[in-house]
Amino acid sequence: MARFDLWVKLKVIDLVAQTAWMTLTEKLGLEGELLGLARYSFWRMEIETDDGPAALDEIDRVIRLDSAFTNQNKHLYMLRMDEGPARGDLLLDKDYPVLVENGGGRSGFAVDCLVRELDTEREEGYRSRLNARLENIQVNGLAAGEVWRILLDAGNEKEAEQKVERIVVTTSRREGLLLNPHYQRLEILSIVPI
Amino acid sequence: MPETFQDKVAIIQFPGVNCEYETARAVRMVGLEAELFRWNEDPHMLDHCSAVILPGGFSYQDRIRAGVVAAKDKIMGKVSELAREGRPVLGICNGAQVLVESGLIPGIHWERVDLALAPNIMADREGYYCTWIYLRCEESGCVWTRAFRTGEVVPMPIAHAEGRFAITDRDVLGEMEKQGQIALRYCTPAGEIDERFPVNPNGSVSNIAGVCNAEGNVLAMMPHPERATWLRQVPEDLGGPWGGKRTSSSGDRNGLEAEGPGMMFFSSLAAKEVDE
Repeated sequence: MARFDLWVKLKVIDLVAQTAWMTLTEKLGLEGELLGLARYSFWRMEIETDDGPAALDEIDRVIRLDSAFTNQNKHLYMLRMDEGPARGDLLLDKDYPVLVENGGGRSGFAVDCLVRELDTEREEGYRSRLNARLENIQVNGLAAGEVWRILLDAGNEKEAEQKVERIVVTTSRREGLLLNPHYQRLEILSIVPI
Repeated sequence: MPETFQDKVAIIQFPGVNCEYETARAVRMVGLEAELFRWNEDPHMLDHCSAVILPGGFSYQDRIRAGVVAAKDKIMGKVSELAREGRPVLGICNGAQVLVESGLIPGIHWERVDLALAPNIMADREGYYCTWIYLRCEESGCVWTRAFRTGEVVPMPIAHAEGRFAITDRDVLGEMEKQGQIALRYCTPAGEIDERFPVNPNGSVSNIAGVCNAEGNVLAMMPHPERATWLRQVPEDLGGPWGGKRTSSSGDRNGLEAEGPGMMFFSSLAAKEVDE
């Protein structure tokens, strides 16, 4: 079973991410803790295949032609098989936007937080859509949602994880912003030092 | 000298709302004074207002999640304070989303977010849905529905993409039921509860269309009463008693200016003020 991750980002300034940044720093008092923020649309596909590179090319062909996934007039994307070969023009491994002034030299962690809906209907819709267009392979499992890449000050990975949970999961008027736990859930995809 | 909103109904104007003027007009129609309040003005100006309404629209363009950015605004701290003092607060559609994301509704645990207004789940379609539905007024102590009889069925328009009341904690839902907080439910024209689309137009748990707090002074409702305030706003092809009234008033200018089904939410507030 091979895993294919599709990351899609706006080419222009992402006003949703900007609003999230301002809300977190100016209204929820996280100025100083947060170093940066970026947002991506994300799909993770699991596919049974003996020929990974051919599958990668086939998925690439489909997602480039279907605006439910990418629109090349407004999106950058990266489609990657496991941790190996990739297609697309999004340089994900270099996309760590530090938004604080003079923050370039500060260290911390970048945490990729996937926000998925508890209800799987939308994910099933994407899976059916892909399978209707793919000719030689079929998607067996699919996860979809929004990934927030949160850059923050933290002493270690554990602390970074605790902090992002507090930032992401809305528990009260004063705590959390990026998901409502009554219909969404958080999956941390990765934590890397920056 | 800043406006004080003394004894006025304050209609909060967040950036992106679009129903504030018709909401103010509906309030004035029942004899109350209404004034728009811009979200970034001094919250203390609302100290002596008589009630607060959060109108429909798309505050902050629904960025991140409908209602959540407005919920974090300083003014919502003031609205929370006023609600806690017992001042009537109504959230319509996007206003309901703001109240839910602020934790003022259901308000069992003050300011804790115990509910969501999640994306609609509908048969054979997704996204934004705009239609007329039927509401059943449930037994509750809600000040905003006191002009209705328990069990009364009224037609009302809805227009939303994120209007599905969702909750993961069944105990909280049980508590809401027990305390009579479910003020409005989606139903058939005969008042029957059917959980399926299109009677339940967005997949809301227990067909919930409106929830009040336990004290009854705060109501979050997804339908738009301000779009059903006059008979002329009721569609001619609606059917039922309201559709019949509308059809028989066609061409009668005065008749069309008669009360529509949504007026009773605002009359309920006026009746409360008279009582006091």
